[in-house]
Amino acid sequence: MKERFEKDLNKLKSEVERMAELALSMLVDSVESLKTLDVKMAENVISRKDSLADMDESIEEEALRMVAIYQPMAKDLRTIAAVLKMITYLYRIGRYGKDIAGMVKSLEGKGHIAKLVEIPYMANSVADMVRDAITAFKTENISLLNDFEERDDKLDSIRYSIFRECITYMMEDPRNITQCSYYIMIAKYLERCGDNACKMAEKIHFMVTGERIEIK
Amino acid sequence: MSKYAIEVENLNIYYGNNHVIKGINLKIPQKTVFAIMGPSGCGKSTMLRSFNRLLDLNKNARVTGSVRLFGRDIYAGDIDSVEVRREVGMVFQYPNPFPHLSIYDNIALGLKMNKLVKSAEELEGRIEWALKKAGLWEEVKHRLNDYPSGLSGGQRQRLVIARVIAMKPKVIMMDEPTANIDPVGSKKVEDLIFELKKDYTIVLVTHNPAQAARVSDYVAFIYLGELVETGETGKIFTAPGSKLTEKYLTGKLV
Ligand SMILES: Nc1ncnc2c1ncn2[C@@H]1O[C@H](COP(=O)(O)OP(=O)(O)OP(=O)(O)O)[C@@H](O)[C@H]1O
Ligand SMILES: [Mg+2]
Repeated sequence: MKERFEKDLNKLKSEVERMAELALSMLVDSVESLKTLDVKMAENVISRKDSLADMDESIEEEALRMVAIYQPMAKDLRTIAAVLKMITYLYRIGRYGKDIAGMVKSLEGKGHIAKLVEIPYMANSVADMVRDAITAFKTENISLLNDFEERDDKLDSIRYSIFRECITYMMEDPRNITQCSYYIMIAKYLERCGDNACKMAEKIHFMVTGERIEIK
Repeated sequence: MSKYAIEVENLNIYYGNNHVIKGINLKIPQKTVFAIMGPSGCGKSTMLRSFNRLLDLNKNARVTGSVRLFGRDIYAGDIDSVEVRREVGMVFQYPNPFPHLSIYDNIALGLKMNKLVKSAEELEGRIEWALKKAGLWEEVKHRLNDYPSGLSGGQRQRLVIARVIAMKPKVIMMDEPTANIDPVGSKKVEDLIFELKKDYTIVLVTHNPAQAARVSDYVAFIYLGELVETGETGKIFTAPGSKLTEKYLTGKLV
């Protein structure tokens, strides 16, 4: 029984890792397509949304099946609870990727008003956080989560600086308004992705230690 | 009066030279279900038996420390162990009503022997009351004179519980009460335990952590005669404080 549970649990965890890869690919590729305004790539990102939803659903189903069958306790229970929350956060991250990809089409005809630097930087930082969270989930090395608060603060301040910069551009020339309002929105999405990574870190911390932490 | 039904202080129990219970401290709040869990041989039954001085019957057993029942040390010199056992009823693992007594007489016996009822009407009333409390009345009211052999395992166990309840104890201890009955019977006993805590303090020994999780308010985990941890059931089953409990609950303790 125990071996069967462990086997199913390992499988469930690797499904979460796969879902994380998918969600991350959507986020990273969407920003990549944004940089070059590559509509084809953006469309490809959008097309992944169904797989993302399917994974969300199938992992949830499997987790519930395991609760019903094994009635897990203590860490086993916390692990399944973490999985159930993590897939929601990953789903949202993937969806933000899809939303960003959706903007590429609208921006295509207009082009960028400046070279995008901070947005890709933010996207990379968020992706690193998600990767570290997933590694911590896999290896239970929670020291990887120690600096999440700082990293999240950093994202927050970049978002704010993007916002201020865009305000300046918009005041300078009202024709910049369309692009700038997209940039502001994208920065906000990326910041929310950071929040979701932090929520994942909290759940993983609880899974490993049984203690709740709050990352602000 | 103490708000605890049972307070255990530095309890040690030996069988000859075998130190079985090692310096345990515990407090069991009144009118709750308190589960004691731990692997086989860790000393659960032994400890439970010390709560109503059942170990007195074993010449080989020695108890030190104190067990207070509603504030009174039951190992103090002036305490009558028979009185203690009336206040602390015990239900064992094997549903063991007396086979040669009718359902009715199974309950009547203890009441008569202890002179707990004054008249035939009172006896009858008390038996009906106890069977109702044990959730068995509807199933046996037409066959009170039958032998318990005609009852299912679960019904027999509830008869034993009725027998204990009839004595109006304050605490009911159960040592693996569902270990030998089928799932439907077990569920009825579990429901009954939940019902009974309105009036009684219940101490439940179980092998089965899932059962402890379902019915108890507090739980203690015993390992090799030591108390590893005790606390609220919800907390212990989701996030125990000790690595050992964690291992036990996730089936990693061998
Ligand atoms: N009457 C006795 N005489 C001598 N040793 C005993 C006696 N009863 C139990 N023991 C020993 O005391 C230890 C604890 O036994 P106990 O029956 O209390 O464990 P338990 O936790 O109730 O186990 P189980 O879950 O199997 O019922 C064991 O090592 C057992 O062999
Ligand atoms: Mg036992």
